[in-house]
Amino acid sequence: MTKPFIAARAVNVFYGANQALFDIDLDIEANKVTALIGPSGCGKSTLLRSINRMNDLIAACRFDGSLQIGGQDVYAPAVDVVALRAQVGMVFQKPNPFPKSIYENVAYGLKIHRLATSKREMQDRVEWSLKSAGLWDEVADRLDEPGNSLSGGQQQRLCIARTIAVQPKVILMDEPCSALDPIATAVVEELIDSLRKDYTIVIVTHSMQQAARISQRTAFFHMGKLIEVGHTKDVFTNPQNEQTQNYITGRIG
Amino acid sequence: MENAHIVGRFDRDLNKIKDRILEMGNLVISQINQATEVMQNTDAAKVDRLVATDRQINGMNKDIHRRAERLIALRQPMALDLRQALSPINIAAELERIGDHAKSTAKRSHKLAAPPKDQEAMQITCQMSGLVQTMLADILVAYTNSDIEMAAKVRARDLDVDRLNKAAFAAGLRGISQDPAKAETFVHLILLARNFERVGDHTVNIARHVHQIVTGEDLKASA
Repeated sequence: MTKPFIAARAVNVFYGANQALFDIDLDIEANKVTALIGPSGCGKSTLLRSINRMNDLIAACRFDGSLQIGGQDVYAPAVDVVALRAQVGMVFQKPNPFPKSIYENVAYGLKIHRLATSKREMQDRVEWSLKSAGLWDEVADRLDEPGNSLSGGQQQRLCIARTIAVQPKVILMDEPCSALDPIATAVVEELIDSLRKDYTIVIVTHSMQQAARISQRTAFFHMGKLIEVGHTKDVFTNPQNEQTQNYITGRIG
Repeated sequence: MENAHIVGRFDRDLNKIKDRILEMGNLVISQINQATEVMQNTDAAKVDRLVATDRQINGMNKDIHRRAERLIALRQPMALDLRQALSPINIAAELERIGDHAKSTAKRSHKLAAPPKDQEAMQITCQMSGLVQTMLADILVAYTNSDIEMAAKVRARDLDVDRLNKAAFAAGLRGISQDPAKAETFVHLILLARNFERVGDHTVNIARHVHQIVTGEDLKASA
């Protein structure tokens, strides 16, 4: 494995008295899609949300251990969480466009992070983001229409455009296709595959088939523990751990 | 297939496997061709090379099997896609068996003290070799283009191979009765002809797979 871009070491996460993650050591490579899979409550979403400190929003949540992105400690006291989240974007399960126009949805992050110095630059970056998200051709003539006037699949690609507008290094995706039909899912999956050349992508998915289709590395979690991590082609054809085998073949979970 | 998938990875992975099948198929044709040369002109070094190349062909079969398994596990193909993903496993296995017959031909030819070039059975066997090589080349084209008409023509041509095999057998028997001292040579010739007859059968199996990929119909089951 090449040098990891994201490195989790001895990560333990607690929600009050409940421990959600146990001693997780996980390396995530740059420019690859890493899928986190496992049954509900296995800790995969907790780990995902630890990467951009979304768990800070939960009062009773406590993080212990070390998590580095590009060599920078995410949990160091000096870290500006807002800046961190610009570097580590997130796409959620349900498409959640702001109640604004398509244009404003993408421009929003650029404005709050002051990433465009002129109106022209703003327009260029909105266009670039929508093109990168494979949405430009469908919305170019209706940028002023509300974001939520789009179809579910388009809304999710709008959210991806909004995320990549601020040019993060990492994109976290939490079940990004679970609200989409198979065709919209295929479009988003193809988009994810094309985005990985520029971004490091970590995706949580309940669909093992989706993990198999879109990721290069897969990590299987069970009851808060990392059971197995490896190349997706190996995990789905010849898993080394019996629990992984049982899960991917539908025998537990 | 003309209709590309939204997710391009399946097509890319499948095309890589198809390329491997073509590579393996061309190597197998070259093996038959060289084995036929050995049959006509004893060449120990060539036999050794054929045996070594056959190991390479066996490795290609395993590689194709592994790639197809991965394609199915990672891309979950359905219907036509599923048949396309499964067929390389079957086709590579047939090619591997054809490779074995080429090797066997070379090794048996080596046992012939002097190649009986002027014997009718030998001439017929060489004719069979040429025919199965053409059939194999055509079936690789039919596979690439999903051309079931071409595949059907390949299947039909196997009747000629079978007819020639019977003729080689009869010629061999005549040879034994006319010159019993050369009985061993004629038995070798009969068995060499049978090798090519088997190659024809495996080629027909590939043609059936091509038909099944496109139509979903299993010709062997309905035969």
